[in-house]
Amino acid sequence: MTQNAANKIVKIDIGDGAAIPCKKDSGLFTAWWITLIGAIFFITYLCVVEPDPYWRILTFLPDGVLVTFQVTIFSILLSLVLGLITGLGRLSRNRVFNLIASTYVEVIRGIPLLVQLFYIYYALGRISLFQNLPPLAAAVVAMGICYGAYMGEVFRAGIQSIDKGQTEAARSLGFSRAQTMILVILPQAWRTILPPVGNEFIALLKDSSLVSILAVSDLLRRGREFASESFLYFEAYTMVALVYLVITLFLSKAVSKMEQRLSYYERD
Amino acid sequence: MNGTRPIIEISNVYKFYGQLQALNDITLTINAGEKVVIIGPSGSGKSTLLRSINRLETIDSGSIVVNGQDIYAPGNDINIIRQELGMVFQSFNLFPHKTVLGNLIMAPMKLKKVPKLEAKKLALNLLDKVGIRDKAGVYPSMLSGGQQQRVAIARALAMNPKIMLFDEPTSALDPEMIGEVLDVMVTLAREGMTMVVVTHEMGFAREVADRIIFMDYGQIVEQGTPDHFFNHPEHPRTQKFLSQIL
Repeated sequence: MTQNAANKIVKIDIGDGAAIPCKKDSGLFTAWWITLIGAIFFITYLCVVEPDPYWRILTFLPDGVLVTFQVTIFSILLSLVLGLITGLGRLSRNRVFNLIASTYVEVIRGIPLLVQLFYIYYALGRISLFQNLPPLAAAVVAMGICYGAYMGEVFRAGIQSIDKGQTEAARSLGFSRAQTMILVILPQAWRTILPPVGNEFIALLKDSSLVSILAVSDLLRRGREFASESFLYFEAYTMVALVYLVITLFLSKAVSKMEQRLSYYERD
Repeated sequence: MNGTRPIIEISNVYKFYGQLQALNDITLTINAGEKVVIIGPSGSGKSTLLRSINRLETIDSGSIVVNGQDIYAPGNDINIIRQELGMVFQSFNLFPHKTVLGNLIMAPMKLKKVPKLEAKKLALNLLDKVGIRDKAGVYPSMLSGGQQQRVAIARALAMNPKIMLFDEPTSALDPEMIGEVLDVMVTLAREGMTMVVVTHEMGFAREVADRIIFMDYGQIVEQGTPDHFFNHPEHPRTQKFLSQIL
């Protein structure tokens, strides 16, 4: 009994990303479908019944959606690069490299994201090289640095999840440490890494609303601009919330599809 | 026979796991073409000894010379030395993200710069030899344990090693699959490969071994021909071990 319990892998998800739909509950009436249909119905209903503020708001937002996506995609790319370096650093035998990576993770995890955003944004402004950096780029750098630390932990866990025998087999054939990592470990770890990376992506998209305070015209800021001109705060933020919801729902579906395709070689 | 040219020379090797003495003053010379079978109770250090030959385990003192090269000498590249040492593991350790063919051609292509077509030809020949050419395009997870282990042997052979190390190659297999793996190993032995095998398969040891080494508590207790070992064991610990397993 106890041995059985020990063998069972318990997965505890502590991220705040949207729940990624599991392929087991692929029926019609899942929470995902109910939410999506509900959100789209709500948007359509409001635009048809009260086109005056709602349709106007909806047509005002797409520029912001584009910026939100720009910030999210560039930030995730930067954070993936930083995350890979950090993850490898945390596993490195090189004391200096290891210590730098660990300290980076420790510092970032201990400071609220909003505070980091302000800090990195204004710190970049003090370095003359970055003084003329557009707000969007500064926001991407800030978000990338923040999420790079979390991504580093994802990479570390993913690499560690690969059986030690894989490394031994590769090394015994004559592959170096680096070759083993690139040819054998990372291609396998990617499968373990992808779902949490997808979750981080969705979380980052939502957190990107924070950059609206840094003069970046993202989805939230566009809503605020509309509201401050028309004084229709409730209406504007209702639409902003619904648009965010629809976007994250589609993204979570995409992540789960990718996850299924990546498990192709384990059909036993 | 290949004469008596020594190809593995292990001298006064010690290894500790904390307080536990895993290898205690091991000295052993293995000649080219020789088939050595190492047996002993679990925890006797036989796997540790085998794994230290290609430096998967590091030793605390002593020296190991493979094919004339000290594997710990600063000027010697262990990755080059390992190319001469094929290794087969208890748990197969095939690369699950590669097909059978992909597993076989990866090391020759990346390490020896063998062109892809040539590597594939070599790989298919090896799969013929281990009797599973028809599985070339399949992923390892679709194979039985015995098939996986035969692929693992072929993968090691693809680097054209001078020595093959086997670490309990049949211990993780269902009984009906042990035979197919041992057959491949017997064929390999007949072809004159230098082999060091850690195993519990006494039938294989009796049939193939030139020399059997019995280890206990990190020491070589007794060694000799299969005839000597099975019929006239001298040391009481060997006699006790044999009475327990036979």
